[in-house]
Amino acid sequence: MSYQSANIVIRALPPPSRGGGVFKSLLSLLFPLSLACASLPSHAAAAPVKDPNASGELIFDYDIHPPGTYTLQKIQHAASGQVLDTEGRVRALADSFGGGKVTLLSFIYSSCADPNGCPYAYTVFHLIKSRMEREQPQLTGKTRLVSLSFDPERDTPEVLKLYAGADANAAKGIQWDFLTTASLRELIPILDAYRQDVYFDLDPKTGQPLGTMSHVLKVFLIDRAGDVREIYTASYLNPDVVYNDILTLLLEDGAALK
Amino acid sequence: MTKENNRFSMKTLAIAVSATVALGVAALPSLSHADETCNSPFTPLIKGQEDLVYVWTLGVEGIGDGSDKLVTVDVRPGSKTFGKIIATLSTGDRGEAHHMGFTDDRRYMWAGALDSNKIFIFDIHSNPAKPKLVKTITDFAEKTGFVGPHTFYALPGRMLIQALSNTKDHGGRTGLVVYNNDGELINTIDMPTGTFNGVYADGYGYDLGINPQQNVLLTSSFTGWNNYMMDMGKLVKDPEAMKHFGKTMAIWDAKTLKPKKVFEVPGAPLEIRWSLKEGDNWAVTAAALTGKLWVVKQDSSKEWQAYDVGTIKTESPVPLPVDISLSADGKGLWANTFLDGVTQYWDFSNPMKPKMIYKKKIASQVNMVSQSFDGKRVYFTTSLLGNWDKKGKGDEQLLKMYNWDGKKLAEVFSIDFYKEKLGRAHHMKFQAINLKELQPLQARLDGASTQNKLALTDLLSK
Repeated sequence: MSYQSANIVIRALPPPSRGGGVFKSLLSLLFPLSLACASLPSHAAAAPVKDPNASGELIFDYDIHPPGTYTLQKIQHAASGQVLDTEGRVRALADSFGGGKVTLLSFIYSSCADPNGCPYAYTVFHLIKSRMEREQPQLTGKTRLVSLSFDPERDTPEVLKLYAGADANAAKGIQWDFLTTASLRELIPILDAYRQDVYFDLDPKTGQPLGTMSHVLKVFLIDRAGDVREIYTASYLNPDVVYNDILTLLLEDGAALK
Repeated sequence: MTKENNRFSMKTLAIAVSATVALGVAALPSLSHADETCNSPFTPLIKGQEDLVYVWTLGVEGIGDGSDKLVTVDVRPGSKTFGKIIATLSTGDRGEAHHMGFTDDRRYMWAGALDSNKIFIFDIHSNPAKPKLVKTITDFAEKTGFVGPHTFYALPGRMLIQALSNTKDHGGRTGLVVYNNDGELINTIDMPTGTFNGVYADGYGYDLGINPQQNVLLTSSFTGWNNYMMDMGKLVKDPEAMKHFGKTMAIWDAKTLKPKKVFEVPGAPLEIRWSLKEGDNWAVTAAALTGKLWVVKQDSSKEWQAYDVGTIKTESPVPLPVDISLSADGKGLWANTFLDGVTQYWDFSNPMKPKMIYKKKIASQVNMVSQSFDGKRVYFTTSLLGNWDKKGKGDEQLLKMYNWDGKKLAEVFSIDFYKEKLGRAHHMKFQAINLKELQPLQARLDGASTQNKLALTDLLSK
């Protein structure tokens, strides 16, 4: 088995069709807010500089360290908060950490259309899950994936259960928790604690929501003690690095690799 | 504030520099790090028009309250207060204010003081036009053993700091420090020392920059507290002191923060600027003492190497390049030469054969240069270090803004920081009033974020 990887080229996924509108029940909030937003003493943004050579590809060109050959520092304790699982049960987010497992956490929303955002994270999570189940099946019980929605209005437990499909509550293989929150009141303190910015995209002419949300995706690697040991941004999220980081934490805990 | 004694002459300086370079050790100044094109790749950028310029300003005894302060200048075109100071936040302390850096979410800005070793964390998102001091780290030296928190560079969820000196002898050996975004110390790492891949690693530090596609961190080297706090007039007359300047750069594994290779780059290599052009994998620096421009890139066998690609020349015997600023497309480089107060523009279309194509005098002295991401606006400040700035009439302390049309600089405004009773104008950082306009660095997302946005977190407060 090889832990090394070089010249990785990750192509941006083809953009899926755009999702529906932003939470309908929030529209009454959004409308006055969009006006407030427009009245901010800000200028219209100049056209962004575009690189004519931009290919839409993110290129990693380096050797990846074998697991266990480096140390991941403890960055901070992973924050908790009140969440709902796909059965609608109230849980503490921290219940999804620890328990003898290393956890990979990301924020998503099920109608996300940004190919560099949620779908990319979803793809990375799938790559890690399938690779570990294939290469290190003895460790699948020590690893957990958590996808937490920041769209509580649309991503109800029922919707999230459909979204998760067979990934949620799989009888075997890696545990993958799909979580949401009851409302923004429960969600926002969690987003703040993880410093995960999320924005509604608004039509610049009308100020109305366009039905999409944007965020600079972050993924958090959490150890068995509930400490964040690595943070990845979507900009430089290399699945092979994440995979080896997970194995590195498992090795700390005495796991044996195949 | 402007004593005439200990004034150094060009001749003395030239002799000192020649001597130290001949000895194979570096000499002299510079300090800076600015501009939208040199932020951490993990920090979202202002790719359009910046709204605000923050100036980290050194307090001067007898000027205003004498304290280091964060000065906010409105640079929104059409604003009634365009080109004016709209906020001043005094730290109530004078500790050699120097550089600043954003957190990875650009909500907070960390600012360091090289003498007091204090680190100030400002909230710049709640009301970007009126920053608020939310935390001061006062035990940096005590906890890390390092002195002079210089460069502040965002990692995801963390702040990477390059120090300049150490608590044991206040010399140039130093290291890297990692804090989390809450200001809690995570880790310290010594700069490489001893013989390293056949090169003597001096253990000095100055600036740093990360290329995430290559997983490398590049560092440069300057001098310790003993020198950077010494009066420049005395320093250049002290041959022993002049031996203690950095002469190396190092490339590190950015993931593990372990050094991979040390380069011999004599003459105090200072600011590090990675080209942001997609596909480029090179960085440039200027060595203060030799005036040489160095490019660090991989050779045909993918081995990292440092190349001497050109020499900055001025009419004065010592060019003393200080801050540099590389355009976002990697094709043009601003280089300030402190002593003559001139900025030079270098054509970097071929980074291995750059050419100086334009120059303009900015002031009696000039240190920092910051350009907007589109390169159309260029800002300058004048202070290098409290004890290294010129004396008397030569000690102009200005923030100046110019438009750049690709051919010449046209002055737009100038603020006299002494007249405004502020102090010495040093490091600049830009900010947007509407943080929703910020965009990630990588080009593939360009254009995806130009719509108006509403922060999810705004909803609850309404």
